[in-house]
Amino acid sequence: MVRYIPLSFALASFIALASTSDALAHCFVGARFFPATLATDDPCVADEMSLPTVAWSQTADVPPASQWDLGVDVSKRITENFGVTISQDWTQIRQANGTVTQGFSNFETTFQYQILKDREHELAILAGVIVDWGHTGSTASGFATDYSLLTPTLYFGKGFGDLPDSFSWFRAFAVTGQVGYQVPTNSFDFTQNAFIPQQLVYGASLQYSMPYLKSEIVDLGLPDFFNHLIPIIEASLTTPVANNFGNPYTTTGTVNPGVIWVGSYFQVGLEAMIPINRESGTGVGVIGQLHLYLDDMFPTTVGQPLFGGSSAAPRKLTF
Amino acid sequence: MRILTFAISALLTVTAAGTAEAHAFLDHTEPRVGSTVPIAPRELVLSYTQNLEPAFSSVEVSDANGARVDLGKLSISASTMRVGLKPLAPGTYRVRWRVLSVDTHTTEGSFTFHVGQ
Repeated sequence: MVRYIPLSFALASFIALASTSDALAHCFVGARFFPATLATDDPCVADEMSLPTVAWSQTADVPPASQWDLGVDVSKRITENFGVTISQDWTQIRQANGTVTQGFSNFETTFQYQILKDREHELAILAGVIVDWGHTGSTASGFATDYSLLTPTLYFGKGFGDLPDSFSWFRAFAVTGQVGYQVPTNSFDFTQNAFIPQQLVYGASLQYSMPYLKSEIVDLGLPDFFNHLIPIIEASLTTPVANNFGNPYTTTGTVNPGVIWVGSYFQVGLEAMIPINRESGTGVGVIGQLHLYLDDMFPTTVGQPLFGGSSAAPRKLTF
Repeated sequence: MRILTFAISALLTVTAAGTAEAHAFLDHTEPRVGSTVPIAPRELVLSYTQNLEPAFSSVEVSDANGARVDLGKLSISASTMRVGLKPLAPGTYRVRWRVLSVDTHTTEGSFTFHVGQ
């Protein structure tokens, strides 16, 4: 462990000090701001960090076990439109008989490219590849595999602010989503004696932006706290689609109603996690996240893409 | 754990390096967003959550036919932007703004207000 600290510090210092460019930052598309969602990903490359994401749930076992998940994500733009996210999760499962198993899942990196940001139509499209690197977590505890997973993924976000004014308050709605196809680097797990399925990994969110309502549609004069809220419902689902011989093709996942409070430098999210079926878990869980906008916290250092930006004076802004 | 070390290192490294600024969100306006005012206002006031760069911030006000009804000359002080208005007849007016906060973050938006009963 100790040997990693100097390398980590050096890398962090490099990122902190090496970059200069314009900062357009986290997920603004025209007048729309898409917050970082908890169960899925927002449709923009950005400089941001989730520290931490904490979830509690009960497994589908009978009797169910109590599960805690602790996650950290750091996202960094390499260029204006290309970014990398590194993630690691730690899980603890406590069985009904008191047995505790804990460990790290595999180290994950996500490479993303911003295909489109259409300001007028509040539309963002992002393409990416999620890589779970085999044998980088606690394989002995069962939370990590000794094979890797590759998941090419398409992300999108669409705000409804371009609807006619007659739609009024409805224009504060937005949707985001992602669809990925997960392919393992091995087709058979000899330790589990089972085929490793290829899976469709997908999710979506429906969100209502109170900040958008206040600044674009009508200022109701509400207390400031409410003007920072984005009520949201997310779904995060997985369906085996191939190489799943002898096993049911059952979709698992959760539907998460909750709310995100959005500030200038960070956001806080809290959602319930409702399993969609018996195979997805037992009872209602909960997930919370503190998410930091690095581009706003450190606009001249970490909040800049590493390459390809410009340190020149900004252009005159036109409509 | 390596990620956690990295994240904490990054935060510690930059904490003393940068002055925290952020995107300039529209905080409030006069007339209010979406409001109906009985008497035509003489100026539009937009207040933001961050200080603005005057040279790179702009606002337009137009009537239902798309004709400009603002006087064009902006007055920007700290986080507040003002623009004078021509005499407004009863009707609906659209405000389009785009601003640059002092840390070079761009934000934009539009809204309407109504004059008359």
